[in-house]
Amino acid sequence: MTNTLKIDALVVGGGIAGMQASLDLADQGYQVALVEKNPSVGGMMAGLSKVFPTLDCCSCITTPKMSAVAHHANISLMTYSEVQSVMGNEGDYQVRVMKKPRYVIEDECSGCRSCEMVCPLDLPDYDNEYGRGAHRVIYVPFSTAVPQKALIDIDNCIYCGKCLKACTTNAIDFAQQPEYVNIETTSIVLATGYKTTPYDAKKEYGGGRLRNVVHGMMVERLLAPTGAYGRQLRPSDGRQPDNIAYVQCAGSRDLTLGVDYCSRVCCMYAIKQAMLLAGALPMADITIYYMDIRAFGKGYEQFYENAKAMGIQFVKGKVARITEDENQNPILRVELIDQNSRVVERKHDLAVLSVGMLPGFDPNSMYGVPVDKDGFIKAPNPNISPTLTMREGIFATGTATGPMDIVDSIITAGAVAAEAAAYIQSHNGHRQLVAEQTERSVTHA
Amino acid sequence: MPEKDESQAKPREEPRIGVYVCNCGGNIGNVVACDNVARVLGKLPNVVTSHSHMFMCSDPGQNLIIDDIKEKGVNRVVIGACSLFLHEQTFRSAVERAGLNPYLYYHVGLREQVSWVHHDNPKEATDKATRMMMGGIAKARYMRPLEPVRLDAGKHALVIGGGVAGLRSALDIARRGLQVTLIEKSHYLGGHMAQWERVFPTHQKARVLLKELIERVLAEPNITIHTGAQVVRTQGYVGNFQIKIRQEPRGVHGAFPNEQEAVAVCPIKQRREFDYGLSTRKAIYRAYNGCVPESLVIDWENCTKCGECVKVAPEGMINLNEEAREFDLKVGAVVLATGFKPYEPLYGEMGWKEFPEVITLAQLHRLLDDEGPSDGKFYWNGHPVRDVAIIHCVGSRQIEGVHRPQPDGNVNNYCSRVCCTASMSMAALIRQKAPDAKVYDIYEDIRTYGRGHEDYYRNAGKEQVTFLRYFAEEIPEVMRADESADRPLLVKVKDHLTWGETIELPVDLVVLATGMMPNPVDDLIGMFKVSPGNDRFLLEVHPKLRPVETAVNGIVLAGTAQGPMNIQESCAAAGAAASKVAALLIQGEVELEPFVAVVDPERCNGSGKCIEHCPQEEALTLETFTENGRTFQRAVVTPANCNGCGVCAGVCPNRAIDVAGWRLDEFEAMVEAITDEIPAMEGAI
Ligand SMILES: Cc1cc2nc3c(=O)[nH]c(=O)nc-3n(C[C@H](O)[C@H](O)[C@H](O)COP(=O)(O)OP(=O)(O)OC[C@H]3O[C@@H](n4cnc5c(N)ncnc54)[C@H](O)[C@@H]3O)c2cc1C
Ligand SMILES: Cc1cc2nc3c(=O)[nH]c(=O)nc-3n(C[C@H](O)[C@H](O)[C@H](O)COP(=O)(O)OP(=O)(O)OC[C@H]3O[C@@H](n4cnc5c(N)ncnc54)[C@H](O)[C@@H]3O)c2cc1C
Repeated sequence: MTNTLKIDALVVGGGIAGMQASLDLADQGYQVALVEKNPSVGGMMAGLSKVFPTLDCCSCITTPKMSAVAHHANISLMTYSEVQSVMGNEGDYQVRVMKKPRYVIEDECSGCRSCEMVCPLDLPDYDNEYGRGAHRVIYVPFSTAVPQKALIDIDNCIYCGKCLKACTTNAIDFAQQPEYVNIETTSIVLATGYKTTPYDAKKEYGGGRLRNVVHGMMVERLLAPTGAYGRQLRPSDGRQPDNIAYVQCAGSRDLTLGVDYCSRVCCMYAIKQAMLLAGALPMADITIYYMDIRAFGKGYEQFYENAKAMGIQFVKGKVARITEDENQNPILRVELIDQNSRVVERKHDLAVLSVGMLPGFDPNSMYGVPVDKDGFIKAPNPNISPTLTMREGIFATGTATGPMDIVDSIITAGAVAAEAAAYIQSHNGHRQLVAEQTERSVTHA
Repeated sequence: MPEKDESQAKPREEPRIGVYVCNCGGNIGNVVACDNVARVLGKLPNVVTSHSHMFMCSDPGQNLIIDDIKEKGVNRVVIGACSLFLHEQTFRSAVERAGLNPYLYYHVGLREQVSWVHHDNPKEATDKATRMMMGGIAKARYMRPLEPVRLDAGKHALVIGGGVAGLRSALDIARRGLQVTLIEKSHYLGGHMAQWERVFPTHQKARVLLKELIERVLAEPNITIHTGAQVVRTQGYVGNFQIKIRQEPRGVHGAFPNEQEAVAVCPIKQRREFDYGLSTRKAIYRAYNGCVPESLVIDWENCTKCGECVKVAPEGMINLNEEAREFDLKVGAVVLATGFKPYEPLYGEMGWKEFPEVITLAQLHRLLDDEGPSDGKFYWNGHPVRDVAIIHCVGSRQIEGVHRPQPDGNVNNYCSRVCCTASMSMAALIRQKAPDAKVYDIYEDIRTYGRGHEDYYRNAGKEQVTFLRYFAEEIPEVMRADESADRPLLVKVKDHLTWGETIELPVDLVVLATGMMPNPVDDLIGMFKVSPGNDRFLLEVHPKLRPVETAVNGIVLAGTAQGPMNIQESCAAAGAAASKVAALLIQGEVELEPFVAVVDPERCNGSGKCIEHCPQEEALTLETFTENGRTFQRAVVTPANCNGCGVCAGVCPNRAIDVAGWRLDEFEAMVEAITDEIPAMEGAI
């Protein structure tokens, strides 16, 4: 089955940047399609606990945006969908989108989760819980997902048919096929986001090998009310940690990993997590090993000062290596920059790697949009027009254009909407003019 | 002829109230026993359904409300959750999607008003939450459907400030097909960006980049620009601001061949602001060569009107008797892009003003500028500069009790965001211009956070800039060296990169990496009723979610008026501001909250008390009516001008005026309910 959709802007990626860009364009009266490869919109932000520097609960500020893009009259939301091809020219792109089969009919599913209750198989949840939680084979991705629709991990399904019986709306369809949508659009906005540095990238840190070395996103999930555990624990024995270390720049500003840039958010999220952990575990010692604390945003410096006042320890030092003792306590070998680079060993019972940001997607082959040497989308005029790409009619926003936090993602989303809107306006205006001229020449011929 | 207001009538339908208590992911639920609250409230009259939920704002939460409206016939909704600033719109739109009037929903702030302030007392907090919800439910019984006030909006925006942010947002708004007026206080466009020679992260020539942008703005037919112009009066509201602008005379219009001569004959010498006093200018001058508009301008404050320049200039070119002019504008929205000013150190702060060899980073930029006062030669006082110390965080990241406060009593406890990368870029440039110079960089943290910024840091290291680290509590000292020393200044630093050793650095020049302060805009703050934050920069509605909007509908922020930013960030914010303006004005109509005064025509006897006390201009008027041959007076509300403050309701002797959505009967019911008995519940609360 193939449909054609004529729109003004196609937004690729439904993280906070893509959602905000869609809303800012749709609010201006433009027709937008938002394509997200995952079964829910929300991106990385949907998995966070609370956000710096306001300590707003993250779901409380993400879910309304997720809901708004789903309900906006001018937005067609396509989740669990991927762009297959992009053809055509500047200002007149033909895009083919594949809606992957959920094996659940989206229009029928009411999100009641009865199917989940009866499904007999649990799978580790890698997508949302980094393997630390589980979901059923048929599942709604997470409790605040938009859309609230189930999908089946067909590779792991044993076709026992229990869900089929439990479903009250007959929404399950094991034979579902991909659907294709053809889109004609004037402009494209890339909001494909980031992924975190794999925590085993720097072998010396033992991520993935040492059990009590975790990464920032795992801690977000421990702190989130929607997380799998609902309490703080260290992986090896489930005990509450009481001496936690943060290792900053784990994957950023590190030429040995080929990442020469600063990831911008890790200082702040480490400080945030340290504060939240200090709240949850009042007796715990928390130490942040850093090179420079980069609390540069509005209100961030005060946030940093508050953390110091709460007793969080900040040590200017570069962690060289992490090993463990017989109790699986991480031992950090630290070069104390503030003490003439003296090297010491410090024992903690949990080490958190403040992993940085890597580009989420390389759009070059599909969209003809090149990336820069850092792997993020190249900006031809970063000072004045930060959301332009090397290709006319295609724009970029959010962390697809380099590491940034939520507020900066929202700001660049507004900026990309302005840039794209102006482009659409001139193009549509031009198109209208051509149409009028054609009409005139026809009637006067 | 005022008709009897539909919403005035007592609700005809029986209230069927749906009650929802949000856990807020633990924000509320960890303190308030939400399940119990919901259960207790379920017992109240008219409550047909009562739930608690982890996230009411999520789609499943919203669907719960929608289903109840559709299936259980709920016709009044009471939600206890976070602050209504965050989610009123979210829930209104959910209620509306279910087909109910969106104003038949009432929001109780259980997070800010209960769980956050009473986290140490869960029992009492639960009690308070229950009572507040009972108040909400009581109000719900009286709520009437309301319609937003719809007004025509001018498809025209005013941008205040012609720096890079103002220019960029004017361009974006105009390209969307709206009219824009841009006013700039000074006599040239571009703001501070014009003063930097090369800018990070691209190392491009700032004035070349700026010129390109200005040319695009000038080519845009929808934009009108006034320089030397400021707002003197404002009135109105979103969609319809009436603004009076005053434009100072320029005195000179257009270029003429012997401009240099006209300048040369001027007897007045002043410090040149553009060079931060590193050079001088006349009372007839040009900010810098190549500025837009290009023509010379008269400095009225210092001009003695001696007329020498008029004598040499072609007839009619210079008019020393030109008057300022005032004109009115009607616009739908306003962009505040009034920018920053570099921090001016206090006398004696690290030697500032005490020693002439202490300059700011902004001055260093001028000094190293090829078109600057020393043609880019790194000279000070006629001598080449050899050794330099750059001290970071001057006027930023200050700590109370350590740093001297500003005149308002506060220290600048924020990071200025641009100085680190700007300093790195300058440090490397010094080394390139003066390869023998020693450059000491004295910092707290190096914050080269942005894309491409880290390259500047690495490059400074490659250029053998020496780094020293100080702690904010131990501010480096700048002092005069001995007569015999061959460097005039000595900088004393407790350096934490070497065991906290105190190191003395003999230098020729000290550069203070001064941060940003907002341009003083108290007049605009007063006129537009926007607020500054604790850091004195203009305040946004929500620092995460709505970073470019202010609490005043129709007034948005762009660039450094809101907080320290670099050029890229200023332009991004300017674009975001333009998006908001476009969304607001493109339809030609704006919606305002319906919470405005309404007059009960049966009761109003034209006493005029309300008009006497109304603090808003033109919100209430007394009008004469004739009905069945009888002539009488009655108060009439202009909804667009009313801000719903309710003063009128308090002074009316006849209870004839009320605020829609907040009527006296609703208040009375709420007060009664809050003080009522909490319904008993099997099991304890
Ligand atoms: C541990 C941690 C904690 C953090 N804490 C905070 C905090 O407290 N405050 C804060 O401000 N910031 C925080 N951040 C940063 C924050 O997560 C990001 O700023 C923000 O999520 C970026 O949003 P985005 O939309 O640019 O990218 P993403 O959230 O990555 O969204 C991109 C979306 O695009 C989709 N996508 C990718 N490629 C394609 C494709 N080809 N087709 C279709 N869809 C595609 C992805 O599935 C994803 O949904 C934190 C980051 C980390 C790692
Ligand atoms: C030393 C230094 C070096 C820097 N180097 C770089 C760099 O290399 N790269 C980079 O990206 N950024 C750099 N920056 C930052 C950059 O200068 C700013 O980001 C940018 O100039 C901000 O632009 P703006 O339009 O917000 O403010 P401004 O440039 O301050 O412009 C504001 C304008 O508004 C006008 N105005 C003020 N009040 C009123 C009023 N009431 N009515 C009418 N008009 C008014 C002012 O006259 C001014 O023209 C540097 C900053 C400093 C201090």
